[in-house]
Amino acid sequence: MDKSGIIKPAISLAIFCLFIVIFYFLIGEDKTELPSVLIDQPAPNFEVQNLTREGVVHTQEDFKGKITLLNVWASWCPSCYVEHPYWKNYALNKDLTLVGLNYRDKKKKALKFLREQGDFFHWNLFDENGRLGIEFGVYGAPETFLIDPKGKIRYRHVGVVTPEVYQNKLLPLIDKIKKGF
Amino acid sequence: MLTITQTIKRLFMLFLLLFSFNGFAIEVYEFDDPILADRFKELTYELRCPKCQNQNLADSNSELSLDLKQIVYEKLKAGESDEEILLFMKHRYGEFILFNPEMSKSNALLWTGPIIFLMVFIIFFFRWYLKNREISDE
Repeated sequence: MDKSGIIKPAISLAIFCLFIVIFYFLIGEDKTELPSVLIDQPAPNFEVQNLTREGVVHTQEDFKGKITLLNVWASWCPSCYVEHPYWKNYALNKDLTLVGLNYRDKKKKALKFLREQGDFFHWNLFDENGRLGIEFGVYGAPETFLIDPKGKIRYRHVGVVTPEVYQNKLLPLIDKIKKGF
Repeated sequence: MLTITQTIKRLFMLFLLLFSFNGFAIEVYEFDDPILADRFKELTYELRCPKCQNQNLADSNSELSLDLKQIVYEKLKAGESDEEILLFMKHRYGEFILFNPEMSKSNALLWTGPIIFLMVFIIFFFRWYLKNREISDE
């Protein structure tokens, strides 16, 4: 066989293999998960009531000076019941301030959720009409944001923060933030 | 006297009626100004529902879409421009929320891809054409 007879099939095969490789990596990806535009942006400005402490109002300034994990949850969200027990473990991490963002919920139901599932958050924001959620670009619950001491959003996770996500995604970033990056 | 079938039929109709009120639950956004109403229509047509991805806000009745529509409505009433409203959405939900995305680094290949493919095709076609012409000239 002459040289040109082998080059053409070889190129075709190479292109075919390239596509297989591309598809292989695309298959596992969740296409419904959107990247947040708020990464490395300061947390939005807000003024929202505390869920459990009547009359207490929180603003974005409350994130400053500590590393915050902000968890968007609701009593109507089935995955939140799965996720919630994990927060008990994450609450043991003294580097972190855990903040709940109760999203589009009724106060009574939200308080019942905390009574029954336990309240591991330092404080809870009560976002009854979902406007704060929209400021954060939330499109469902649960979602979790990592906010650094300067009040910048560093990471957003959509879905349940499993121990794997905590270990592999959040802890390395938290370490980085602790070192001043 | 009603027979049993008739009674069941009537009860069934009543049951249907009871649950038909969802039909009235369509959100109505009232504008005094028809121009504002048109802009509302256009904006909710252009904006994608982040939750349901293949629908725009106008078609979607998910709770998030209703919230976002309400925001569009309030902002229009407050006199904000279309650009300001689209920018508000873009700053929170990203380029994704626009059904008509702008060209950027991340989607440059998508925009230029067809042109590149066409050019490669034309180059190969002419090479093939010229080669064949030489052969037939011989």
